[in-house]
Amino acid sequence: MGLSTALEIGKTGLTIYRVATEVTGENIANVNTAGYSRQRVVFQTAPPTTANGFPLGTGVQISTVERYYDSFLQKQLVNAETTEGYDTKKFEILKQIEPAFNEIANDGLGTSLINFFGAWEDLSLNPTGTTERQVVFTRARTLVDDFHAASKCLTDAAATQNDSLVPLTAEINARLEDIAKLNGQIRYTEQSSGNANEIRDQRDQLVRELSGKIGITFTENSDGTTDVNFKDSGAALVVGSQFGAFSLTVNAGTGNYDVNITPVGGAAAVVAPVSGEMGAIVTLRDTTIPGYLNQVNSLATTIATQVNTQHALGFDLNGDAGEAMFTYTGAPNSAATLTINPALTSTNQIAASGSATLVGDNTNALLLAQLKSTSTMSGGTTTFNGFYTKLVSQIGLDVESSSNAVSQDAAFLKQLEALRESNSGVSLDEELTNLIKYQRSYQASAKLITTASDMLDIVLNMMR
Amino acid sequence: MRITANTSADNSLFYIQQGRAKLDKLAELIASGQNVNRPSDDPISTNMILGIADKLKTGDQYLSNIDKTKIQMQITGTALQGMYDTLKIARDLANSLVNGSTDTQTLNNAVSQFQTLKQQMIDYGNVRNGETYLFAGADSMTAPFSGTAPYYGGDETTLNINIADSSTIKLNIPGNQILTADTAVSQPYGSTNILEAFDNLITAVGANDVAGINAGAQALIAGAKQVNNAQTDIATRQIRLNSMEQMNSNNRNTLLTVVGDIQTVDYAKLGVELTQQQTAFNASLSATAKLTQMSLLDYIS
Repeated sequence: MGLSTALEIGKTGLTIYRVATEVTGENIANVNTAGYSRQRVVFQTAPPTTANGFPLGTGVQISTVERYYDSFLQKQLVNAETTEGYDTKKFEILKQIEPAFNEIANDGLGTSLINFFGAWEDLSLNPTGTTERQVVFTRARTLVDDFHAASKCLTDAAATQNDSLVPLTAEINARLEDIAKLNGQIRYTEQSSGNANEIRDQRDQLVRELSGKIGITFTENSDGTTDVNFKDSGAALVVGSQFGAFSLTVNAGTGNYDVNITPVGGAAAVVAPVSGEMGAIVTLRDTTIPGYLNQVNSLATTIATQVNTQHALGFDLNGDAGEAMFTYTGAPNSAATLTINPALTSTNQIAASGSATLVGDNTNALLLAQLKSTSTMSGGTTTFNGFYTKLVSQIGLDVESSSNAVSQDAAFLKQLEALRESNSGVSLDEELTNLIKYQRSYQASAKLITTASDMLDIVLNMMR
Repeated sequence: MRITANTSADNSLFYIQQGRAKLDKLAELIASGQNVNRPSDDPISTNMILGIADKLKTGDQYLSNIDKTKIQMQITGTALQGMYDTLKIARDLANSLVNGSTDTQTLNNAVSQFQTLKQQMIDYGNVRNGETYLFAGADSMTAPFSGTAPYYGGDETTLNINIADSSTIKLNIPGNQILTADTAVSQPYGSTNILEAFDNLITAVGANDVAGINAGAQALIAGAKQVNNAQTDIATRQIRLNSMEQMNSNNRNTLLTVVGDIQTVDYAKLGVELTQQQTAFNASLSATAKLTQMSLLDYIS
């Protein structure tokens, strides 16, 4: 042990604090990088020697450069992202449907229903009136148009969601592939040269992004890799550097896409996603929107049936029995296919009379008008308008509850993000303090070298 | 808990966003003047608002029905008043002849007057509202009365109109129940065939048949009473129409009040909330601006 040891300690100090400054620089540079976890240099005393007759350290060395990471928090974030992905997508879709049923701001199907039966009221006051008959026709056409609009809005929404599965599946597959690749890089890097902190951050960020799109569970392995499974079926999506894939096949029955998963080391099978963005899309496409559509179709079917039945009991201006007023093809699509019967070509064919010989009779018009206030829907418990109002309120309730869920998710996620930021986020003030600390340490190490050098000069001068 | 600059920035953004959303909502409420602008604003109230809106529209339809029916009643009433006045003239003329007359000219003039008055009665019987013959029953496209027996070519259907939920009113009076009542199946006002009475009277006067003239005069008195009964019926219906109009209007006002209570915003309350929210939002912006500027960098030379 001599002055050279002191010089060596100074040199090591310079190297170590340069590295520490680099780590601080890395933290400062990535202060705004999504998913980045701050890193710190863990210093430790270099191995001691007993050259002086007693044990004394040989300076400082870097034990490791570690990242601040909380795996429990990551799991919570992944779960929260899945819930938020589901609720947000559901809210987005429902929010697009709501305006078509916003009877508070606009006249829609509900108003058309009232107007249609109101036209029969007017006709009952003047059963032979050409104008009143024309109004019945016009109101019927408006009613049909509004049924088409409501049906189209819902079927378009379902079709749009079905189509959106294509880019979503591609996004999910890209992330699965990226996670698997990063797993491979992490394993390779850590086997050869310590912690792959940045790559782990990137991988963990991808896992979080993936969790917003589908429900997942993940396992962190001892070799640094993370295995990912599909939460809704348990299928292995990523195992080490291997990855599975989502694919879509057209269902012959519905014409919609079935979601398939080809798991790692397995064969493709149809799955039913119920969580994450994909779960929301499939649930709304297959359950929620068809539920609304069924109600619109049920309304259209019942109105057409009731009006046609009553119309057939009446007689038109020619003394003929009333033709069916509406036609539609098949109950499942009755709202979309509802039309005015093509056989009704003249206003004279409107059957307002209850008598084949008395054109001025208004009995049938009156009975048709009274259908408005007859409880014919929901097993004879509610009127046409009551049924429709219930549907509008149901949509409003669904939008409201999903909006509340999104707000709650956002607040919860914000809290988790704050916890993550607290643990893993970069504090510039902290880094600047470290920078000054390391700078001073670097300066001190340099001073140690110059001092040792001066001392060495003294020794050398003694020998001259 | 360790707080970084990004924690503060994220928090600030979150609360600024929340504040902006509240301001936006308040602005919407103030601009629209309505508490509920879409079903999701308040689904329960939406159900009530739409239910009331349906009732209001239905009530408006009933009010429209009542208005149109009142017009028809007025025309019917005017025609009946005309019939009654005509019958009074005819009755007076008949009474002036019940003792007979030797003056042929007088008798001829009387015959001519009775013929004119009879035609007047027929004209009243063929009165129209638009294209509709009011006294033709359901055969309303054709003039119901003619000058020759059996006089009435219409039918005896009474048309009904909705004036409230589960409430109807008769819209017309079949003409045979007024002018040829003895041939009517239903005889709510009397059983006198007024037009036949006119013809009998014309024959009796032409023949200076005192007994016939007397009988004719009595028939005209019975006819006038018959018409008067019909007038009373129409007046009763008009009273009921007025009553139902009042009821529908009252219902309408009540429903408007209820929907107003739900829908109409309290501007004073919103004004106070807006001020509070603006203050909070400004404070939030100010705090964010100040907080995000603070850095150790400013103190490192």
